[in-house]
Amino acid sequence: MREHLASCAACARVETAERALTEVLEQRLPQHPAALGLKLRLAAQWPAAAPPRRSWRRLMAPALVAAAVVLATTPLLYQRFVVAPAQRDALVTEAVNDHVRVLLSERPMEAESGDIHQVKPWFAGRLDFAPAVAFGGDGEFPLRGGAVGYFLDRRAAVFLYSRRQHAISLFVVRAEGLPWPANRLETSSRGFRVIVWRAGELGYLLVSDVDAGELRTLAAKVMGESA
Amino acid sequence: MEDSARDVGAFGREALAYADTLHNLAHYLTGNEPDAQDLVQETYARALRSLHQFTPGTNLKAWLCRILRNTFLSEYRRRRGSPVVGGLDTVAPVHDVADRELDALRKVVAEELEAALMTLAEDARTVILLDLEGLTEVEVAEVMGCAVGTVKSRLSRARAALRRRLGDDAH
Repeated sequence: MREHLASCAACARVETAERALTEVLEQRLPQHPAALGLKLRLAAQWPAAAPPRRSWRRLMAPALVAAAVVLATTPLLYQRFVVAPAQRDALVTEAVNDHVRVLLSERPMEAESGDIHQVKPWFAGRLDFAPAVAFGGDGEFPLRGGAVGYFLDRRAAVFLYSRRQHAISLFVVRAEGLPWPANRLETSSRGFRVIVWRAGELGYLLVSDVDAGELRTLAAKVMGESA
Repeated sequence: MEDSARDVGAFGREALAYADTLHNLAHYLTGNEPDAQDLVQETYARALRSLHQFTPGTNLKAWLCRILRNTFLSEYRRRRGSPVVGGLDTVAPVHDVADRELDALRKVVAEELEAALMTLAEDARTVILLDLEGLTEVEVAEVMGCAVGTVKSRLSRARAALRRRLGDDAH
């Protein structure tokens, strides 16, 4: 096969094209993961797993019964300690996925500009909300532009900042219907740092691989000037 | 009884891990988000009803993909009375590639790639996506209900059609 490709220019070109097609399909074809709401509906329709049978269960039975009673009779506790963390994990996962899509995109920014007064008006007519972001970048975190993306089941305003050679994505979405943490959440997922917060009707998700302190500094600038 | 419930629950957890894969396939089959969500939900409902038909040790992802595609073909196309999205005929694999086709491949952006894929016939789109998911030719053949040899030729023709479409767009 190799010998033939070495001596046949036409077949070599087809082989090159096939490899190029595989590469672009793997790296550039948009992926459409299931929305959080759909996953929750699917999980709800599937019977839950029964716990494994172990001898310690008999010893722990009274405590388990008590815990079950508390959980069953206190939906708020169940929501807070069982459902909400899982939903917030999904929120963080989506933010990281979207950030990776930005990094992989050939044209991550639809509105390339370092001027917030050019980027924000660009969103008019493209979103059903006005992204309240006033921080237009500075020497530490220059603004590179904006784009419209999708976050779970809704449109998102994407602002791209940078720190040295690192890209930082800020996703701004309508907050309604999503499980925002009560206070600002700082976490990490798959090597990326994520800061999540809600301000009024909007939710904010900041994602990057910069140091935690640097991302916190940018979050403070965005929060301070977004009020 | 308890073992049975545990089996169903464990099976469910494994099955739900493929929700993103199934939704992605559903999106490229239906062409829109509401129908994709309906299709995925119906797929899981059917899978739950057909658990006894799954052969342990075989590929669960392929089994779910087969249910999803069959559901799409039987339910959506018939119920909505509308043609399947896309439909450009596939072409025989070409034995030469023009410069503009290679250039187009190197420069194509995500939106163009998605749009080009959506112009292909349903079976061409499906075979490309299943191949991307890492399913073997045998598994793809089971999903699509055809012979392994047919999968090879369909995949080759589908990829040739996609390359040509991208090359045409670059014109």
